[in-house]
Amino acid sequence: MIRLQDVTKVYDGGVVAAQGVSLEIAKGEFVFLVGPSGSGKSTLIRLLLREELPTSGDLWVAGKQVNKLPSWKVPLLRRSVGTVFQDFKLLPSKTVYENVAFALEVIGRPRHVIRQQVPQVLRLVGLAAKADRLPRQLSGGEQQRVSIARAFVNRPLILFADEPTGNLDPGTSVGIMRLLDRINRTGTTVVMATHDHAIVDAMRRRVVALDRGAVVRDESRGAYESVPSLPEALGEGEPE
Amino acid sequence: MRFQYLLTQTIQGIRRNPLVVASAIVAVLVTLVLVFGAIVVRWSIDQDIGRWDDDVRVIAWLGGEISPDQIFAMQEEISSWDEVEEVVYFSKPQALEEFRELFPDQPALIEVVEEDPSVLPDSLRIKPTEAGDYADIQNRVAVYPGVQEVTAAGEEIDALVARSNRMRTFAVGVFVVLGAAALVLIANTIRMAVYARREEISIMRLVGAGNWFIRVPFLLEGLFEGVAGAALAALIVSLGNKPIVQMLSTVTDPESIVVPVQFLLQNSLLVLAFGAATGLLGSALGMWGTLRD
Repeated sequence: MIRLQDVTKVYDGGVVAAQGVSLEIAKGEFVFLVGPSGSGKSTLIRLLLREELPTSGDLWVAGKQVNKLPSWKVPLLRRSVGTVFQDFKLLPSKTVYENVAFALEVIGRPRHVIRQQVPQVLRLVGLAAKADRLPRQLSGGEQQRVSIARAFVNRPLILFADEPTGNLDPGTSVGIMRLLDRINRTGTTVVMATHDHAIVDAMRRRVVALDRGAVVRDESRGAYESVPSLPEALGEGEPE
Repeated sequence: MRFQYLLTQTIQGIRRNPLVVASAIVAVLVTLVLVFGAIVVRWSIDQDIGRWDDDVRVIAWLGGEISPDQIFAMQEEISSWDEVEEVVYFSKPQALEEFRELFPDQPALIEVVEEDPSVLPDSLRIKPTEAGDYADIQNRVAVYPGVQEVTAAGEEIDALVARSNRMRTFAVGVFVVLGAAALVLIANTIRMAVYARREEISIMRLVGAGNWFIRVPFLLEGLFEGVAGAALAALIVSLGNKPIVQMLSTVTDPESIVVPVQFLLQNSLLVLAFGAATGLLGSALGMWGTLRD
């Protein structure tokens, strides 16, 4: 479903955000990308969404070689994946329903499909009763549910989540994780960048740890930190 | 669905900042009114030139000592020149008749001429093939024996041709300078519209909206501004050209000048096409660098 082969990304100014990353993620997997701030988690997601091109190496997402994709095909790539961000990225002037419907409108889905799919996905995220609210009338957790609904309404093969619980309190985060878990159980591959220890440790899913752009650990039922590195991590201080 | 969505987006974009949109429309309007106006005025000047074309242009006044045979030989020779279309002999009585027609309301003047026929001598009236050839013909005819004086309506024609050329220069100048200003104004409105919708656009990209899907509403907005300005300009010039044309015309009876509907229609279409092109181009210029893939 996702494959990275020796991917390196060096930004102008010499910052190395990815360094020889090779990774394979199968269909239906749930993968945490963990690591301190600046370790390259977000860069990896940006590369997979073709928001940036790698300096070297190859990436495949849902059968498409991302780094060789002609620019006019990039929208097709993004339609086959869903993306959730820490800051929700909702349109403040649109209601919950409109925000989710927007994602279908702009890719030209017919109206009857929109009328059918939007209420369905709002039920899935538990916001059917708040369809007419504006984002500012919702809590942070509810706003993130809207953004997940928007990412999932088109039934993508893969869901990318970049720090989806970064702005939420622990209790709300649990709810969001339950939702992502439920989406994962429908067969959707979920890749989530996070530095929330509690969540990673509780879920016990595959963990890919990054440090200064390089993969330093890849465990199938991992924790946020491998046991030997705990004192080391404490020595470096709490990441963000 | 898609078409309706794009149209809704365009209308929203126009409503978002009506003053800025209005300024772009006015810029196109002013540019094209001046250009179209100049085209119409130039047309009326060219009509005047055409009127001169139909008349006898060079007149060779003949002395009394010249015999009819000589006059006939001269007429034959001059008509064989390339730059001459035809040569007509005008006798004294014919000249008098013409004089009477030209000044019917001045009997005193006619009386004077009737008393002394030598005031109006015989003449050869020469019609050049091309309007500009009169000076050449004038010089060649002047050396014939028996020709007293050669006159031509040269200066009047020259003035009209110069005026027509000035109109063209004016139209081109206005088109270049104000057209560029209109283009930049439209580009500016589009850039502001893109900026106002930047959040929406980033989300559209995120969920996989096609590039053209994002661009089309802005192109339509630019197109609307260009075409609206052009349509108003076409309307104003088509309906309101009369006073200006009559004021600038050199014809003795300006009331008779009516710009033909077909001419106005053809040029209105041209103006609309220029408006549309300006709108699309301005829009593309406005999106340049801000809406890349």
